Formats: sequence, C-alpha cells, structure tokens
Amino acid sequence: MLTRKTTWHFTFVSLIIGFMLAIQFQTSHEPDVRDTRDIWEIRQDLKKEQELHKQLLQEIRKYEETLEKYEQQRSENKGAILRQTVEELKKEAGLTEVVGEGVVLYVEQMYDESYVGPVSDTVSAELLRRLMNELNMYGAQYVSIADQRIVNTTVIRDINGVTKVDSYPLRSFPFEIKVIAADAEKMYNRLKASTIADDFALENLLLTISEPQQRVVIPPYDGTVRVKQMEAVEDARR
Amino acid sequence: MMWLPLLGLVIGILLGLLTDWRIPSEYANYLSIAVLAAFDTLIGGIRAHLQNIYDEHVFVSGFFFNIILATSLAFLGVHLGVDLYLAAVFAFGVRLFQNIAVIRRILLTKWLESRQKNRL
Repeated sequence: MLTRKTTWHFTFVSLIIGFMLAIQFQTSHEPDVRDTRDIWEIRQDLKKEQELHKQLLQEIRKYEETLEKYEQQRSENKGAILRQTVEELKKEAGLTEVVGEGVVLYVEQMYDESYVGPVSDTVSAELLRRLMNELNMYGAQYVSIADQRIVNTTVIRDINGVTKVDSYPLRSFPFEIKVIAADAEKMYNRLKASTIADDFALENLLLTISEPQQRVVIPPYDGTVRVKQMEAVEDARR
Repeated sequence: MMWLPLLGLVIGILLGLLTDWRIPSEYANYLSIAVLAAFDTLIGGIRAHLQNIYDEHVFVSGFFFNIILATSLAFLGVHLGVDLYLAAVFAFGVRLFQNIAVIRRILLTKWLESRQKNRL
C-alpha cells in the first residue's frame, strides 16, 4: 500500500493543485452583477450621472482657474526674483554705490625739508598692487583708490611712468584709499600691524590709516564692464 | 492514509479561497495550464502507483517540470503569436484521459476479482 513518504508527496502535490485551482476559480469567476433596472430607473440614474458630470466639470473649471492664478503669481514672482538677482549681481560686480563700515587710508608725499633730488609724483603700480593684495588678505569687501572703484577687471599698471588705475592716473597727492570690510576694527588692527606702511615709506610716501569709521562711501564703477570670454550657458533642458 | 491527499486538496482550496488572491487576467492562461499539468502529474502518479511502477523522484520532478514546461510553452506561444498552449492542453488532456482510463480498468479488475473471491 501507500508508504508514508508517498502519501506526503501526494498530499503536497494535491495541496498545491487545490491552491492553484482556488486562485484560478477566483480569477475567472468574477461575480457578474446582472442589470435588472427598468427604463425609468435607468433614466433616473442617467440624470443623476449627468448632474454629477456637470458638477465635476464645474470643479475642474474652478481648479483650472486657481491653477492659472497660481501660474500668474509665480511668473510675477519670477520677475521679482530675477530683478533681485540682477541687483545682487550688480552689487557684486561693483556697479552700485556701497556704504558701510570701514577704514580710509591716506597716501601723501613724504620728503625731508633738506631733501634735494628727483621727486616722484606717482606711486608705483607694484606697491599699489601689493597693498591691494594685503587689503584683500585682511578681508576687504569693497575698495576704491582715489574714488576709482576696484572691480574684478580693474588693472593697476604703469603707463609711461604714470601709475593708472584702470584709465585714471594717480598723479595728485594726497589721495584716499577707501576700504569697506565686514569687521572694520579687525581690518584696522591688521593694517596697523602690517609692514605695508614701511614699504610706502621706502618710496617716500606716507601711508596714514584712519580709525575705523562707521560710514564709508565707495562710489560705483564708472566704466563699462566688457565681457569678452564668457558665454551664456545653453539651457540643458532643451 | 488515502484521505490525506484529499485533505491536502481541500486545505489547498480553502487556503486559496481564504487568501483572496487574484492574479491579473492576462496570466490566467498560464495558471490554467499549470493546473492542467499538475493534474496530469497527479493522475499519472496514481496510475503508476496502482501499476506498482511508482517512483517518487519521477513523480516530484515531473510535477514541477511539467508545470514549468507547460507555462513556458504558453509564454513562448504568446510571444510567437501561435497558440502553443493548445499543444500543452492537447497533450495533457489526452494523457489525462488515458491515465484515468487505465486507473478505471485497474480498479474495475480489482473489484471484479474481489467479488469473485467473495463468491467462492
């Protein structure tokens, strides 16, 4: 007769078959509901559905209007944001006047009364660039030399013996170097401690550093910013 | 011990009904062919057992192999655009009938023999 193992095999197989059968049965025997409504009931139902349809259409219209409103608001906001960004970029590029806490440096000639000899009437570009580097190192945010705003593209160079900041010649002494920094006090202390004044002294120039001032006004850059090497980024979404 | 497979079948059906599983209708074909294959194997196993040529390895391996073969045949048929599952239905159907016929004859012979013995 059947051994114990064989019985279990048969049981297992029939269990699986039963399971599959039941699932198949359930899948293929979806209960189908017969429609027993007469024509009047169907008409009433139709009316109900039509009302629902109307209601839904109204809702859709309402939401579309809301959506449109939001879109409009968003595009307006976009404009505002763009304007804000432009302002920020202008500020960063140095096209706006800046007011803030900072220090003012005065540069004047320093000659002994008994001095006889050639007198330099300009400050060397080398020295001025060194000063700019030092200022940047100490956390200068906005700088102007003799009311010429220093921007990223500013050049300080020697043209025929005259030092020029961009195209403005530094010929008349004294002139001011205005610096705005986030922490004017710190800036002042660092400048005091640096040897930059000694370097100026070597060129017979006296560099005076003012006490930190609450209000330093730095004028905007008055030239035009020429963009030669930059290109607009292609819209990646296209 | 004969009632255990029957009990298994009943438990399987109950399990299937209670879990309330439903497969997507596009796979119903595969399941039906799998059920057919499983039935074929089960009936074949019963016949082999009655003829005393039953081998459990053949039975168990045949069970799974037939199911897989039948469903993959149906799958292939769907992708080739030929109703290949009909081949499986035909093969299993014919075998099912033959096996049931053999079982019937064996049982009939046994019954007749036992009746003759009782008469004697």
